Amino acid sequence: MIQALLFIASAAGIGTAPGASAVAFVLPSEERVRVLATIPDLAGFVREIGGERVDVDSISRGKEDLHSVTARPSSLVAMSRADMFVEVGLSLEIAFVPGLLHSCRNARVQPGSPGFVSVAQGWTVSKAPAVLSRQAGDVHPQGNPHINLDPRAGLHMATQVYEGLVRVDPGSKALYDARFEGLVLRLKQAQTRWSAMAEDWKGRKVATYHSEYDYLIEAYGLESVGTLESKPGIPPTPKHLSELVANMKSGGCDAILSAQWSNNDTLARVSEAAGVQAVVLPNQCAGMKGADDWVGMMDLIHDRLEQAFAKSAATK
Amino acid sequence: MPSVPSQAKQAGPDSGQADRFSNAFNPAFSFIVDAALDYVDLDSGSDEDGFDLSLRILEVASQAWVDPSAWAYFVGAAEEEGLNIEEAAVHYVGLGSQTTLRAGRFFIDFGKQMQTHVHELRTLERPLALRAYLGDEVKGDGVQYDQWAAVGDKSALRWSLGVFANLLPEEAAYPVADVALEIDERKDLGDLNFTGRVTAFRDVSENGTLQLGASARIIPEYTVLDEVNDLSEAELGNEVFGVDLTYGWIDDTGQRRWTLGVEALANSGDIELSVLDPDGTPANGDESLNVKDETVFGFYGFLDYAWSKYRSAGVQYSRATLSDAAETELSEIELYTTRWLSEYHRLRLVGVWSNDDTADEDSYRVALQYTAIIGSHGHGINW
Repeated sequence: MIQALLFIASAAGIGTAPGASAVAFVLPSEERVRVLATIPDLAGFVREIGGERVDVDSISRGKEDLHSVTARPSSLVAMSRADMFVEVGLSLEIAFVPGLLHSCRNARVQPGSPGFVSVAQGWTVSKAPAVLSRQAGDVHPQGNPHINLDPRAGLHMATQVYEGLVRVDPGSKALYDARFEGLVLRLKQAQTRWSAMAEDWKGRKVATYHSEYDYLIEAYGLESVGTLESKPGIPPTPKHLSELVANMKSGGCDAILSAQWSNNDTLARVSEAAGVQAVVLPNQCAGMKGADDWVGMMDLIHDRLEQAFAKSAATK
Repeated sequence: MPSVPSQAKQAGPDSGQADRFSNAFNPAFSFIVDAALDYVDLDSGSDEDGFDLSLRILEVASQAWVDPSAWAYFVGAAEEEGLNIEEAAVHYVGLGSQTTLRAGRFFIDFGKQMQTHVHELRTLERPLALRAYLGDEVKGDGVQYDQWAAVGDKSALRWSLGVFANLLPEEAAYPVADVALEIDERKDLGDLNFTGRVTAFRDVSENGTLQLGASARIIPEYTVLDEVNDLSEAELGNEVFGVDLTYGWIDDTGQRRWTLGVEALANSGDIELSVLDPDGTPANGDESLNVKDETVFGFYGFLDYAWSKYRSAGVQYSRATLSDAAETELSEIELYTTRWLSEYHRLRLVGVWSNDDTADEDSYRVALQYTAIIGSHGHGINW
C-alpha cells in the first residue's frame, strides 16, 4: 500500500526542496494548467483569463477573516500538484501560506519560481509602518495587504495573473491574450461605472471593524472615523469602543463597515449605541450572493455603500 | 562607472554572506513566557496543598535556513541551572518528494500531543494517560525520516520512523516503584529506541476534517536500578502503542470551531516493577526486584469549542491504569476556558479534578495560566 501511495506522489511530479532555483517546466499541451489561489477573487481572474485551459481552486471559501484561514488537507494536496500558485501577498495570507508552501515541496510554486504569483508585487501600498513593533498591533511590515478590496486594483491583479499564466504555459499565450483583452475592457468599464457612482462620496464618514476597507476609503476620499479593533488585529476593548461611540456621536458617521466574519455582537452593540447603521460587505468573492467574481463583488460593495449613504442622508 | 569593491567582485552578487560581521542572514528569534497561579487541594491532606505562583517556562527559540535544502532550529528552556536544550535539530528536505530527514534532539512523533511543547497545548498539562505511559515530555537524540503522499484529491497520508539513543522520560510522572530506569549509553543497533507513526487526514465535508493515526514508541532494552538495596535488573523492554482520531469543524467565517479528539494507549512489556522486602528493613540483603511482563491501558478524549478566534472552552477526560502491583486506576477531568488577549498572549482559567480510584482519593487544582509569545513563532502542519 505504501509503495503504491509513494508511486502516486512521484507521478504527481513533486519537485525538490523549497528555495531551490527556478526550474523551467514545460506543460504538455493536452494537460490543463493546475492553479491554486488563496482567495476566490484571484481564482476568478485565473478562470477569466485561462478559460478551459486552467483547472483552478481557492483555499478560502469567501467568508473568512483572511488573516486566519485554516488550510484543509485538500489544500495541501492541491498545492503539491499545482503548476501555479497565486496569492495576494504583503503577508495577508501569512496564517496559512508559509506552512503549505513549506510542506507541499512543490518547486514549481515556491517564491522565485515561474509558477509563484504574488499579485501585490508592484502595487503601491498604503500605510506601510515606519516603525515595526507589535505595539502597533498585528501590522504588516510591507503595508496594508487588503488590495483585493481596492476598486483601482483589478487591472493590476489581473495583469499579474495573466503574466503568471504566460510564464508557466507560454504555448497558450494567444488564448490568454485574447481573454485578458476582454477582461481589461470589462474592468475599465466597471471602474468608470464605480467612479460615477462614487462622485459625491468624498468626505462621507465611515468606521470599520478591521482595516480591510482602507483602500476603498482612500480611493473615494471617504473619511475614516476609526476602527472597532483598537489596533489592527487587536480585539476591541470596552474603553476603546466607548471612545469610538463618543466620536461617532459627536462628529457624525454614515456607516460602520464590516465583513461577514466580523458581523458579531460587538458590531451590533456599537451600531446601536452610536445610532449608526452597520453595513456588511464582502471581503472576498464567493461569500455573498452576487459576489461571484471580482467585478460582481465590487458592484455589490458599491451598491451597498450607495444605499447606506442615501439612507444616512435621508435621516439627517 | 562606479567601482565594485574587490571583495564583492570575488564573492559575486549571488554568493550570499560575504562579510562575517553582516547581520543580514541572522536567524529568526523568539521567546515564550508561560506562568501560572494555581491552588492545589490534595485529598491526603498533604503539605503540598495551597497556592503557588510559578514561571513554568521561559523558552527561547531560533530558526533559519541553512541552505536551500536544510533548515535548523533550536528551542532552549531557561532553568535555574542554566539553559536546557529542549530541541536542536536540522531538517533536511533535499531528498526530493515530500520527505524530511530530521537529525538532532527533538520531541517524538507520537499521537497529536507529544510533538508539541506544554505551553502549546489546549490544556494546562499533557493528558494523564500520556504522562503516565510516556512522560511529561519525551525528547531524544536521534534521526527521523518522514514522508507524506496525496491519496486522491482530499487526503494526505504521512508516515515517520525515528531512531533514538534514549527515550526514557527524564523524570517519571507516575513512578511505580522507588527505582531508577536507565539505558546504556553504548548499545547494539537493535537496542536503539524507535518511534513510528502513520496518520491520514482528509476533508470529510466543506467544513469538516478527520484525522486518524497510529503511533508506537519502542524501548527494546533498559535496566532497572534500586540503589538503596543495590539491586538491578537488565534486558527489560517496554512498548507503548496509541491510536488517535481527531475531528475538526470550522464554520464558513472561520470563527467558530469544534474539535473532538481521542487517543487510546497500550503500555506493554516489562513494566510491573516492585521491590520485595520480606522483613521491611531496606538494604539488609533479603530484598529482590520483581519484574513482570504486563500490559495496561489508558485513553484520553477532549471536546473543544471556540466561538471566536479569541475565545474557547473545553473539557478533557483521561484515564490510565498504572503498571504497579495494585494496578492503580487514575482519572482526570480538566475544564478550561481560554481568552486570547491578542494573537500574541493569552489567559487560561483551568480546573482539574484528579481521582485515584484504587485509593479512593480526590485532588483538585485551579490555575490561571498566562502565556506570551514574543517574536517570530510559527508552526507547520500538525500531523
